[in-house]
Amino acid sequence: MEITPEVVKRVAANARLKLKEEEVKKFAQEMKDILANFAKLSEVNTDGVEPSFHPIPVKNVVREDKPGKCLDREEALSLTPHRKDKYFRGPKVL
Amino acid sequence: MIKKFVADAKAGKIDLVEHAQKALEEAEKINEEYHYLTAYADVIERAKELQEQVKNGTAKGRLFGVLISVKDSICVKNVETTASSAILKGYKPLYNATVIKKCLDEGAIILGKTVIDEFGFGGFSTNVGIGYQKPLNPLDKKRATGGSSGGAAGLTRKATFPHIAFGESTGGSIVNPASFCGVVGLCPTYGRVSRYGLIDYGNSLDKIGTMGQTVDDAALLLEIISGKDEKDSTSADVPVPSLDTPGAVSGIRIGIVKEAFGEGIDNNVRKKVLDAVYQLEKKGARKIEISLPISMNYGVPTYFTLAPAEASTNLAKYCGMRYGANEPLTGTYNEYFSRVRNNNFGEEAKRRLLLGTFARLAGYRDAFYNKAAKVRTKIIHEYKHAFEQVDVLITPTVAITAPTFEEIKKLTPLQNFMIDLLTVSPNLAGLPHITIPCGEANGMPVGMMIIGPHFAEQKIIQVAKAYDVHQ
Amino acid sequence: MMYTSDIVIGLEIHVQLKTNTKLFCACPTEATEPNTAICPTCLGHPGSKPVLNAKALEYGTKLALSLGCKISPTVIFSRKTYFYPDLVKNYQITQYEVPLGNNGQIILEDKKVVRIERVHIEEDPGALIHEAGGCLVDYNRSGIPLCEIVTAPDLTSPAEAREFMKKLLNVLGYLGIFDQNTCIIKADANISIKEKKYTRVEVKNITGFKEIERALNYEVQRQKQQEVKRETRGWDADKGITYSMRTKEEEEDYGYIVETDLPIFEISQEWIRKVQQTIPELAEQRAVRWTKEWKIDEDDARIIATDLDVAVLFEEISRKVDPVFTARWVRREVLRLLNDKKKELRETEFRKEELTELFKLLTEKKITDRIGQRIIEQLADKKFSPAAYVKEQKLEMVAGEDILRKACEKAIAENPKAVEDYKKGEEKAIMFIIGQVMKVTKGTASPTVVKELLKGLLK
Repeated sequence: MEITPEVVKRVAANARLKLKEEEVKKFAQEMKDILANFAKLSEVNTDGVEPSFHPIPVKNVVREDKPGKCLDREEALSLTPHRKDKYFRGPKVL
Repeated sequence: MIKKFVADAKAGKIDLVEHAQKALEEAEKINEEYHYLTAYADVIERAKELQEQVKNGTAKGRLFGVLISVKDSICVKNVETTASSAILKGYKPLYNATVIKKCLDEGAIILGKTVIDEFGFGGFSTNVGIGYQKPLNPLDKKRATGGSSGGAAGLTRKATFPHIAFGESTGGSIVNPASFCGVVGLCPTYGRVSRYGLIDYGNSLDKIGTMGQTVDDAALLLEIISGKDEKDSTSADVPVPSLDTPGAVSGIRIGIVKEAFGEGIDNNVRKKVLDAVYQLEKKGARKIEISLPISMNYGVPTYFTLAPAEASTNLAKYCGMRYGANEPLTGTYNEYFSRVRNNNFGEEAKRRLLLGTFARLAGYRDAFYNKAAKVRTKIIHEYKHAFEQVDVLITPTVAITAPTFEEIKKLTPLQNFMIDLLTVSPNLAGLPHITIPCGEANGMPVGMMIIGPHFAEQKIIQVAKAYDVHQ
Repeated sequence: MMYTSDIVIGLEIHVQLKTNTKLFCACPTEATEPNTAICPTCLGHPGSKPVLNAKALEYGTKLALSLGCKISPTVIFSRKTYFYPDLVKNYQITQYEVPLGNNGQIILEDKKVVRIERVHIEEDPGALIHEAGGCLVDYNRSGIPLCEIVTAPDLTSPAEAREFMKKLLNVLGYLGIFDQNTCIIKADANISIKEKKYTRVEVKNITGFKEIERALNYEVQRQKQQEVKRETRGWDADKGITYSMRTKEEEEDYGYIVETDLPIFEISQEWIRKVQQTIPELAEQRAVRWTKEWKIDEDDARIIATDLDVAVLFEEISRKVDPVFTARWVRREVLRLLNDKKKELRETEFRKEELTELFKLLTEKKITDRIGQRIIEQLADKKFSPAAYVKEQKLEMVAGEDILRKACEKAIAENPKAVEDYKKGEEKAIMFIIGQVMKVTKGTASPTVVKELLKGLLK
């Protein structure tokens, strides 16, 4: 697997990072080193092994369908200057 | 120390406002020199409130009047909480983390927020976010505190007032800095403590823990914050035993992890930890050699695949819209988000975002994310098997003592990851672990790490307390 | 896969589940004021955590079971990462690896089987309002529980897609897990045509089951006329067109990982049985029951049961009026009118109270069928009491034979030509005379009685 600057650019775009050219070059080299080392994971025989998504089994925790307290709108909106009347404001999507 | 202080405070033998004022001044002075704190809570206001309770005879709680510092990744209502990242600059949570609520209920005074590697991404606290100052080792300012809970460890070492610290560990972020700064660091079993209000790094790995100058201090705070919380689905519904327990090591089988005393471990560190084990043997413990080949050889790539993969999704929410850093809303949403994120995430955050995003993209996911999740199963099983033979495992906490900033600068990112060599695997397996100072090497503190099976916090505390620091 | 039909359609339908609170937090699902049903979790504030709403899991399971799905023994949630201003965490908690249910089906009127590949639950994003230079967002919808139903590409026309949606809505209504007044149903459709070598286009954001036919009809025509490339298009309901959103190459890689803030949910057979017990009778079962218990014509029963609202109306009237009579009138009149008007029952003024009153007038022979038909047509558009109307307009069936006899004698006297034809053996001629009598009596006479009377007089 070749970690080229193009791969890094594609990954950065997916992660919404507008990297500068020199950053792309630097991270490409570093990721190459890191992933070459991490490739040794393939040495571990995991045939028939189930993946673990938690270190200990965590099962069946649910909540009753009962309404609780909400945040005050003004308080929630106060965390950002990007607001208009009763709404949050965001960048354009079209 | 804390217990006596609490009793005195409740009895009105201490003027809490005056005490808090002095502590605050001391903290500010330490901070000027060592950079441990990023924000202060309203300490005096809280002290007045508690003083009033003393007057009214309503003073209560096991932490009454005790100053608690909080790792900057834990939300404290109305106190700037940023995970030491520029992307959360100015963010003041609208709610308290469950652990904060619990210690306020016990009469604690929140001191402020301690600096960390941005979002917990580091082992030296040198990866603080843009605009933050890296903390300096309390024993040698040319050296690092360790990380990521570096500010917590440094402050715990330096503070002369009664103080306990909140830390958080994803891959070793409590014990590593505690070891470098010569204090006690205690990390519980995954799920023992509610993560509600903890800014996520790796959700399947994150654990809030404690730091203190003594095992008792760290244990006291841990006992208070432990237990099931309906706001965190992954918090464990397991009874919490008393952690106020005497040292006991007689008949205990101690597993010495062979690989953790071999190649790559500083000779002086190895010797100090083996001396400490010998002291425990003299008190009746039995030493058994244990080999953990998968955990010790594959822990680092497993951890640095899974943790960044989770982190890269956790950090997606920071985009300059609803809270934290923001810029004028120009460009399309993609342009805006990408710009704000690139301008505000530090270098290590970007590195881990790239690494973590890569590991979960189609085409790479099977070889990295899915594969690591399977190796994790083998690591968990390897520990399970070990704990069929021993009661606790012991290793050095970190392979080296606190390095200088000059030395750290020369490390490649991969070498940086290797600092977590001994801590990532117990963290991947969600095991409780504690580090206690066991002497000095190279003029700096050495930490001994005691690891227990799931929910055996009491056991590791007993063993830790059996070790006599002053011998 | 090899296709043979001219049009190939697969649907991905999102329905809102009728819970009191959101999928992962305790905020209410019903709020009218923007940004009032919000909390740290559904705003994606740092440190907040999701906790699953038990009701949503139950409702999702109920739907999956009703569609004949197999329920997965373990349910896990995943993070689907993509960035958008309405998505608070910039990832959506959904299900990826293993859906809650799979391998189900819906059978259409012509017995065609539409396979359902998966049924899963996920959270809805907030609601966007476009404005100059940016967007406004209301996060009341953020975290609303949705159930996604994905079909195999088994549908072969826009009309079939509409029928499928209608059938699905019926099941949802029958289960009581979806409120047609407040909940939203949305569809994304994959559509391709033989003429363009089945080049797949996805059309997103189609709201409601009527729109689906419109959108797909448009898209079929567009594909026939234009070059077709693999892409995602949006449906603009106002303009009635689809527009290009992104090409295949611009598709986001969602980088799915497991949502480890949530536990694994183990679904036991026992729990499935419990949920199964709460599933009410569905359309087919209901039709069978009516035929058995009430001796309703099989065809009538099946057709009435298909539309839940009509079925409920029918059952309620049948408690007070003869069911066989009611079935005939609901099918011949109510359904015919809905069809003519291209309306849903809820879009008309039909209510059980007025219809019951009307049907009583009919079964008690107080009015003639013809008057009944006239009144029912009006009831579709406005509310009024049929009994009062009949009285006021003097539309009661003429019962007094004297009046009728006089009317008949008058008609015979005034129409000698018809009388002559009838006497010559032209049976049909009597119909004309009956018509004249009906005209004079304004339809209040029973045509059968009139006919008998005339026959007697003309002997």
